[in-house]
Amino acid sequence: MGFTGKHSVSRVLCKLLAVCALVFSVGQVQAHHSFAVHFVADQLITVKGVVTSYKFTNPHGILNFSVTKEDGSVEAWRAETNSPNVLRRRGWNKDSLKPGDEITVVGFPARDGTPYMRISKITFADGHELTGQASTDPTAQD
Amino acid sequence: MKMRTHKLVIAALLLGSCSMVQAQADLEGYWTSLFAPTPEGEALKAKLPAGAVFVDDAGSGELGEGQFSGLKLSDKALKEIADYDFRQELSQEFACTPPSVAFYMQAPFPFELHQSDKFIAMKIEYFDMFRLIFLDGRGHPPADAPHSKSGHSIGHWEGDELVVETTHISSGTFMNNGFNHSDNLKLTERFKLSADGNTLFATQVSEDPEVFTGLAARYMAWRKVPGEYVYPYECDPSFGE
Repeated sequence: MGFTGKHSVSRVLCKLLAVCALVFSVGQVQAHHSFAVHFVADQLITVKGVVTSYKFTNPHGILNFSVTKEDGSVEAWRAETNSPNVLRRRGWNKDSLKPGDEITVVGFPARDGTPYMRISKITFADGHELTGQASTDPTAQD
Repeated sequence: MKMRTHKLVIAALLLGSCSMVQAQADLEGYWTSLFAPTPEGEALKAKLPAGAVFVDDAGSGELGEGQFSGLKLSDKALKEIADYDFRQELSQEFACTPPSVAFYMQAPFPFELHQSDKFIAMKIEYFDMFRLIFLDGRGHPPADAPHSKSGHSIGHWEGDELVVETTHISSGTFMNNGFNHSDNLKLTERFKLSADGNTLFATQVSEDPEVFTGLAARYMAWRKVPGEYVYPYECDPSFGE
């Protein structure tokens, strides 16, 4: 496990500005708190880890997962979903993630640099995916 | 000749009367945010009052910190924004605080609309909110009557367009970036159905001299989804830290 990227801990910072601008313009959720203030809307990071807990309630589902860094230390990450009501219509449910699941999470990083993100996409070890806040479908209920 | 003229006038009046009745659009249904409104809705947008400042954050949009679409804010509002602590938004106390009608109507969540001659009921998915729009000709309660997040709404038909005025809205999020409206906000909404009945367009005009000068305007659209219904929101404050 580990994460790829820009800082000392490897973390892939996807500078997909044009793509993200499109994603942001059509797929952003205005939930109870400001997305723009708390997250970097024009960056995506990719983090690999193992699910420790998952809760699927409004205003945001919460996913906790552990990430093993290159030096062997383990870092606790927290990721929020957009509204579970929106995601339920895309096939998510309260059992979509289970402790022990090996996942790769792509999301919008927290502005304050903490290990926190808004989920854009989750890919499981078997290759199946869950789509969060990243729809390019202009009619999606994001 | 004179008799024929009278008959024509009566026929025209009857026709006009019938068309007025028929003009009241059937807005009943489940409506979900349409992020790419069709050009048909532009006609409604064109009816916005001259000089109104357009706030382009409806549906999928959002304004960042310090962005107010060019609205001229009052000193009171500027001070509140300067003192606003965004960290509180991640607290349990804040997690399930619902927004007011000014904000939840433009949020990208669906609603059910149920319609009668005397009122329109709207079941909003976002925060399980509910709106009742009276169409029976009543006025608003006295200014010092209790306020609520959904306020007090009265509406009337202007041809096939529904015009709704809402007052008595308790202070709440206006732009989701620390800029809140006051208890004295007045909202005027205009709803119009597309020709095929599958798209609902609306404009929202806000007036709140306590926090900004002039008028602010938004434009929204929703598509009809037959057979769908609003899910419970059941906000869980444990999201907060």
